[in-house]
Amino acid sequence: MTTAPSRRVMLVWVGALTSLLLAVVCGLAVGPTPIAPGRVLTSLLSHFGIGHSSLSSFDQTVVWELRGPRMVLGLLAGAMLSVAGGTYQGVFRNPLADPYLLGVAAGAGLGATLALVHDGNAVNAPTWTPLIAFVGASSAVVMTWLIGGRGQRATTATLVLAGVAVASLFTSAQTFLQQQASAQSIARVYIWLLGSLAGASWSSVTLVLPYVAVCIAVCVVAGRALDVLSLGDDEARSVGLSVRRVRLVVIAASSLGTAAIVSVVGLIGFVGIIVPHVIRLLVGTSYRRILPLSVVVGASFLVLADTVARTALAPSELPLGVVTAAIGAPVFVLILSVRRGLTS
Amino acid sequence: MSISVEHLTIRYGSTTVVEDVSFAVPAGSWTTLIGPNGAGKTSIVSAVVGLQRVAEGIVRIEGYDIHELSERTRAGLAAYVPQRPVIPVGSTVADYVTLGRTASHGVLRAPSPTDREIVDGVLERTGLDAFRHREVGSLSGGERQRVVLARTLAQGTRVIVLDEPTAGLDVRHQLDLLDLLRKEVVECQLTVLATLHDLTTASHYADQLVLLSAGRIAMSGNPADVVRSPVLSESYGMSLRVVNVEGQDVVVPLRS
Repeated sequence: MTTAPSRRVMLVWVGALTSLLLAVVCGLAVGPTPIAPGRVLTSLLSHFGIGHSSLSSFDQTVVWELRGPRMVLGLLAGAMLSVAGGTYQGVFRNPLADPYLLGVAAGAGLGATLALVHDGNAVNAPTWTPLIAFVGASSAVVMTWLIGGRGQRATTATLVLAGVAVASLFTSAQTFLQQQASAQSIARVYIWLLGSLAGASWSSVTLVLPYVAVCIAVCVVAGRALDVLSLGDDEARSVGLSVRRVRLVVIAASSLGTAAIVSVVGLIGFVGIIVPHVIRLLVGTSYRRILPLSVVVGASFLVLADTVARTALAPSELPLGVVTAAIGAPVFVLILSVRRGLTS
Repeated sequence: MSISVEHLTIRYGSTTVVEDVSFAVPAGSWTTLIGPNGAGKTSIVSAVVGLQRVAEGIVRIEGYDIHELSERTRAGLAAYVPQRPVIPVGSTVADYVTLGRTASHGVLRAPSPTDREIVDGVLERTGLDAFRHREVGSLSGGERQRVVLARTLAQGTRVIVLDEPTAGLDVRHQLDLLDLLRKEVVECQLTVLATLHDLTTASHYADQLVLLSAGRIAMSGNPADVVRSPVLSESYGMSLRVVNVEGQDVVVPLRS
């Protein structure tokens, strides 16, 4: 819990909010129909009752019916995956923890595969795919908790091991299903697993928004408890933290929020592990600082990555996970080496 | 009685590590548990602060059955220094000591101005004021233990339980730390239950010694009597003598 100089924290916040604005404008303005960022801004402001939109009705449709929901879903997904990764790292006191640690990804993967191979000849994925993916993701986490998280002997280690076991089980079932399926449905499963915001619509946004908003709020509020938890279970209890309850609430919020997002956008990797890490390098180890910043930075990062994903090889799209890793990894290495240079 | 342990039995699986142990620590006094490794000292102190499950018996602090209470209520009654404190990476001295106030402000609220005043007071009394912005991890062993003690003092409880607080410290730092604690005990009327390996220091800093052997109490009482008793040598399985040097008892092991 470094108390980084508050000046630096302020600067990081300014940077984070600027990147958020940039992401929102890019998410709406950039694409096959380029629209001047200034005009997007006026349209954006007109939504808040400030001034009038200068967009034509065609541009209005492009911005608000095609790019709008995709941008908002990207913000939600980036925010949720990052804050969930940050909370997982706190709960498990492991900087390598990511939101998929307890089987969410494997569960969602099995659910989605079930839905996608169900009707192998259909062109589009069944509309109920997200629902089944969500059921798969949440049942995997609940199973992990039932096996490794209950009782007096339960520790974070038993929980992680249970997560590994459950994830393997679900993955093996998914692989089996995939192997039985037609080539066409295998391709669809593969695309789903890579994650994409291409299917976004306002209805998918409103579907996940309530869950994700609540889960993000719970995770952010838990920052102080996670700071206490960094003392280890025994000492955290001795200073008055109900370790079991905190762990249950925090894991439930971050897992269910992740499950909701993953069931709509597929498995977007890397965001959950890298964003909180980068923020930790910038503002220190206190989760009170890391988590709110993870929400903002994660949201902007994913939307910017998606802007690259849908424009770099237009008209075809790059898988979002490829872009998040390709941008995130070098940025991470850069920050790591700059920090190392500063401290040595 | 500030701490009372009644017929305490602790088991790990089928192994009984503490059996039918009873003792009491009067308010404002200092009791130290001694005994060879594996005698059950750590199990007893962690049961006293409610961290260790108890097979039989009861532990009361200020009259309350400690195992019936929530963590937060418990933290208001007793503070605890474990044998190997976990120092959070990157934590500054001030932040770390403030964690001791968690039970007072709760995890949903920021520390109040009163909490901050208490932390400032403790940092000053423990001579850590100059270190407040330093990372705990960057301090020496002696300073680090002082920071851990400061965190427990900041908790503001009448009872402090310490498991080997001087482990790994040189002679000078051992005595500095125990002197600091004794000063707090006298000034703030604290009740202390500690475990210590060094028999000489144990006898100097306690009003009562409880000698444990294989999970049971072999002897308890006045430190001068306990260190002079043949039971001490029996419990350790070796010959121990007390030599008086300038009016102070020194426990010396003799090789046979």
